[in-house]
Amino acid sequence: MKKLVLGGNDAVAYAVKQCYVDVVSAYPITPQTSIIENIAHFIAKGEMKTRFIKVESEHSAMAAAIGSAVVGSRVFTATSSQGLLLMHEMLHWAAGLGAPIVMANANRAVAPPWSIWADQVDSLSQRDTGWIQFYASNSQEAYDLLFLSFRLAEKVKNPVMVCMDGFLVTHTKEPVATFEDEITDFIKIKDTPVFLDVDKPEAVGALAFPKDYMPVKLEQIKRISSAKKEFYNIAKEFEDVSRKEYKPLYTYGYSNADIVLVAMGSNAETAHLAIDLLDKEGIKSKLVKIVMFRPFPKDEFEKEFKGAKKIVVFDRNISMGKGGITKDEIVGALGIKNIVGVVCGLGGVDVTEIEMANIAKDVLENKITEDIILWGEK
Amino acid sequence: MKEIGLHGRGGQGVVTAGELLANIYFKEGYEVQFMPSYGAERRGSPSNAYVRVDEKKVLQRYPVRIPDEIIVLNATLLHNLALKERGIALLNLSSNSGLKKNDKVKLFIVDVNKIALECKLGTPVTPHVNTAILGAYCKISGDFSFDSLKKVYEEKLGKMAKLNIEAAEKAYDSVREI
Repeated sequence: MKKLVLGGNDAVAYAVKQCYVDVVSAYPITPQTSIIENIAHFIAKGEMKTRFIKVESEHSAMAAAIGSAVVGSRVFTATSSQGLLLMHEMLHWAAGLGAPIVMANANRAVAPPWSIWADQVDSLSQRDTGWIQFYASNSQEAYDLLFLSFRLAEKVKNPVMVCMDGFLVTHTKEPVATFEDEITDFIKIKDTPVFLDVDKPEAVGALAFPKDYMPVKLEQIKRISSAKKEFYNIAKEFEDVSRKEYKPLYTYGYSNADIVLVAMGSNAETAHLAIDLLDKEGIKSKLVKIVMFRPFPKDEFEKEFKGAKKIVVFDRNISMGKGGITKDEIVGALGIKNIVGVVCGLGGVDVTEIEMANIAKDVLENKITEDIILWGEK
Repeated sequence: MKEIGLHGRGGQGVVTAGELLANIYFKEGYEVQFMPSYGAERRGSPSNAYVRVDEKKVLQRYPVRIPDEIIVLNATLLHNLALKERGIALLNLSSNSGLKKNDKVKLFIVDVNKIALECKLGTPVTPHVNTAILGAYCKISGDFSFDSLKKVYEEKLGKMAKLNIEAAEKAYDSVREI
């Protein structure tokens, strides 16, 4: 292991370099661009034996990624915000075909008004495309999740998206423990399916009449549903090499907490400090950080919420006309009532540990009982 | 935890200075976080970057609000900057320019415009003062050795390292307190 000072984007590019990727097809967009810039640089210097396909749009980037994946290549791409939205149709294609593509997404607000800053509505509005979704809250997680994602995508034959909050994770640089040769055995295991073979002509993407459609969808449901169990297995293998434990939900604080704070992405990093602040005031609290959002880790949430008096969910995202998306998902899956959602930090607005701790305290003391839609704005 | 603000104008190398500074502290064994502030990416507009230094992992995911110390690459920005009471400000200035010694903050000045041009870094319109000013910061903060700065420049700046180290040395020698 070697420690380097890297931003989330640097860490992702560095991981891709070490993952024996055959094809990268991508289109630049802030704040993702430095991922593919770094990769292009590695290829130009001869440090990576990867084919870089330059395309004219994100829709084409994903189309090229799918084309490469169905002939058995290990494929990576990266995008953000408006670019991800332009890919939308192709995201369904990738997941429906079972193409094990790994994509990094820099979470950025969606226009209008134009914004380049952190907000998770871009990737959360791809929730129903069938992609496995991870959210990294720091550079180390972004790096490690890339290795885990390639293995998982190929194991379950399903594409994986690794999301990082724009700038707050993508461009914020910190020490990252990087691998040297010790990861080779783990990542060299390539299990890419070959759907198209010139020696055995077949087609993908055919028309399915109603009686055939549901069986095909059932296969897809089985693939993504197996992802959680397989993630535990692959994460165990990864832990043997890295000494780092990865689970669908990460926790910090008291196991018998009275109040549970739920966060995803950069907010989850700051939330550690909120737990420490609450501890100083004698309040037993716990952070539950969402690492895996799809498939949704329902059982894990149930376990973590056991015995808690109150739960507060901080969402840097919003479903218009409803509220924070992860809060809504939790309520939908668990049907619990002792939970309050807080929509905050949209478009890159700061969320501090003091704000989080104060809100959590008010929720525990029943001073806040209703969801807060747009914390800080009246 | 120590929070350092780096402030300048687009083209002066504020972001690079912040990244280099984070790497220097990291080399000295600290936990670091470098957080650039992105906005209008154009020459001449204000550009800010922040470095947090601590003994333990830095977890704050929002920009520094009031820094303990500031490194100011363009002194015209001074009236818009936040600094903690009894903080340190290192300014790119050739003379006191009316600034007086006071009890509230410690002021240091260094003429890195002149030094950068002497070392052929940048152009007369936009001298690249970022590497020189870190040499002055090395002296006034006393947080890290000049040797760590030198090693980081050698690792990160390749062929240009020599001139930048020379500039940092000159700033180290000429920085003075008001």
